Amino acid sequence: MHKHLLFAFSFASVLTAQSQDFGKAYSFEERKPRTRVEQVIDQRLPSIVKVHGASGLATISAYATGIIVSKQGHILTLDQVMIQKDRTRVVLYDGSVHQAQLLPEEPRFGVRLLKIDPALVNGELQPVWPPAEAEAKFRTGQFVVSLGNSFRLAEFSEKVSATFGVVVGRANTALRYRMADVKYDGDLILTDACNNPGQFGGGLFTLDGRWIGLNMKLLDSKETNTMVSAAIPTRDLLPYLEEHVLGKHTAEAVVNKPAPWTGIVLFERAGLQSPPAYVDRVITGSPADTLGLRPDDLVVRINDYSIRTCREFREVLGRFAAGETVQVTWKRGTKVQQASMVLASEPKK
Amino acid sequence: MNHFVRAIGVALVLGPALLSQRGTDPDEFEHLEPVLQAALAKAAPFVVAVETFGGTRTISGSEGPTDSDEPPAPRVPPKPAKKPENKPAEPKSEEPKPDAPKPDEPKPDEPKPAEPKPGEEGPPAPQPVPMPGSDPKPDENKPDENEGDEDKPGKKKGLPLKAPGFQQTLGKTTGIVLTADGWILVSRFALNLEPTTILITVPGRGTFHAQRAGEDTSRGIALVKIDATDLPVPEFVHPANVKIGQWAFALGRTFATEEPTVHIGIVSAQRRVFGRALQIDAYTSPANYGGPVVDVHGRVLGMAVPLSPAGRNAGVEWYDSGIGFAVTIADIPHLIERMQKGQVLQRGWLGVQFEPSFLGPGAKISSTPKDGVAAKVGMRKGDVILEVDGVAVMNGPHFQMLVSSHLGGDSITIKIRQDEGAEPVVMGPLVLLDAPWSEQKQKKDTDLPASFSLPEKK
Repeated sequence: MHKHLLFAFSFASVLTAQSQDFGKAYSFEERKPRTRVEQVIDQRLPSIVKVHGASGLATISAYATGIIVSKQGHILTLDQVMIQKDRTRVVLYDGSVHQAQLLPEEPRFGVRLLKIDPALVNGELQPVWPPAEAEAKFRTGQFVVSLGNSFRLAEFSEKVSATFGVVVGRANTALRYRMADVKYDGDLILTDACNNPGQFGGGLFTLDGRWIGLNMKLLDSKETNTMVSAAIPTRDLLPYLEEHVLGKHTAEAVVNKPAPWTGIVLFERAGLQSPPAYVDRVITGSPADTLGLRPDDLVVRINDYSIRTCREFREVLGRFAAGETVQVTWKRGTKVQQASMVLASEPKK
Repeated sequence: MNHFVRAIGVALVLGPALLSQRGTDPDEFEHLEPVLQAALAKAAPFVVAVETFGGTRTISGSEGPTDSDEPPAPRVPPKPAKKPENKPAEPKSEEPKPDAPKPDEPKPDEPKPAEPKPGEEGPPAPQPVPMPGSDPKPDENKPDENEGDEDKPGKKKGLPLKAPGFQQTLGKTTGIVLTADGWILVSRFALNLEPTTILITVPGRGTFHAQRAGEDTSRGIALVKIDATDLPVPEFVHPANVKIGQWAFALGRTFATEEPTVHIGIVSAQRRVFGRALQIDAYTSPANYGGPVVDVHGRVLGMAVPLSPAGRNAGVEWYDSGIGFAVTIADIPHLIERMQKGQVLQRGWLGVQFEPSFLGPGAKISSTPKDGVAAKVGMRKGDVILEVDGVAVMNGPHFQMLVSSHLGGDSITIKIRQDEGAEPVVMGPLVLLDAPWSEQKQKKDTDLPASFSLPEKK
């Protein structure tokens, strides 16, 4: 009986609390937006939420950002350790706090949908999605606004931080988070709109208000040993969103791809620094033999992936499967040659 | 009545205009976006990717970044196609090429004499001009040296378990097409690891093998040559036509193959690093070193390189800091010519230190290092330098500005007063030496290569 009373009481208090206008409890004057940048920020801020999760270790930040992607309460954020069942809360634009359910994650991109109860939301949620697929396009040299709760600076109904910059370009390889390589084989949007801890899970928007990307963690580029601000393109996330928000089943059957084999034996030695990918031997009848590769050729590229070292050769080859066709570029003497190679699977001994 | 009609007319014309002005402020970013993308499209064809292979990653001291401050030995220009093996005994009168096999490189990278393809080499590279200063070194000495090195007992190389500071990666960098016939300007940064192979990818034209030519270590730029013709050549803007505050877009090829990456900023200052570079606030880092810094019309203002005000290489502390340097190109055609001949240009050095408490006019010498030019021509402590090349010297820093803009090998004329009250004398022309801190240092055994090899069993 006591239990029931307590439950009814708490439910009633939650309802009363939700009916108050949270935003007004802590608000301040600001002039009307004038420029495109100001307008985009004003337009998109209500779609950005703060995400708070489990903590405990100093190395785990217990805060992130999320984007509202449906009026039913779907919120997209990066999947990370802090996102734990029953311990994930979402703070909306008006300062109201909501318990979030966890939907299945998307392992390829490392993102996860959260779900809050739209009935408990004061007013209507303002999702950034669904846009038409064409709207999620981006190009180098486009100005962008990044919205997110960097360093958990925004508390209660405070607005999250907005940073401004340009789409620097795209990268698809050789990224690292702390010491671990980022296993991600799609394109990432690189931007100089500053990304900081906490900003991840936030959104990247163009000057006309389109949502083009989900902010990644602050990554290192292995190409340059410098930090880069990156975002996962929205268009890559669409299948996941469509499946879990709209209920469309687009999941492909997972096929175990056979490992590729080229028939190239590299001239490799043990060491800290892997040597360039010089061909030591070519196995007769192998794809490399068909291509005419010879000992002492230097393999420099597979498709668009640069092969600077033997290690990179193996890493890049691992992205493909037997039966696939790749463009191999190699250097013989001072001549650079290119041809397509159909990868085989390793013959049984 | 007339006035009334006119007033209505004015109101009709001005009203909407005023109203529309109240609605939105002029937003320059909205207007800049198409301009930026047009500049990108114009610049993309001549922004090339530079890939390097092999080389040794040296580990520098703990105080800083490992951007090498050791320029390489003077090298000869790219030579024409290798002669077939009918002249095997031809003596080679040149320094070892970077492509020559190194002890810690697994394979020779040069075309083997057994497979020469002179016919396929395309137009011959520019004719080599022997360097006056480079003494010929027979090639056959090299293997001996290497063997000797490896065989000596007690010269064990420890493993570099901990690498202090920043490590330069093997990542792609950027370059600019300089001439239609295949001269490519790259950043000296790209060659820090002394790569054994350099490949240049020209967008839409494919990948080419590049030969190193000369470089200017004081500017951090280097020239390479590829066998290609009809390359798209950019328009270079002379620094005299650059204004502080104008837009500057730094382009790079590290991450992007289709279109270059872009960082935007403005020209922060002119004539930095003794008149060699523009300072920009666009982010520069290895992601765009060697790339052009272009204006809103896609014309090249300069090349982004790691430099620091002291004129030495800059490192990780300058990356993406909003302090970037773009070496101007349009004002150094004479230096480009020297680099095409294979010369390694370094900052000039007279060899005087001046008394900071002496406020001028003139610069008072406090000491003359004995290796310097100044000591050799008889400048002494207490002398006051009054003029450099006819320009009256205001004070010590002014004197440093006047001298440091020169390169080693340049001549200057100095007017100096050697005794109190004495008549000034003119010295010169004095030929400046290469600055000692930029000289090629002998490689020490204690310099650990990050790549090492297991001793082979014999």
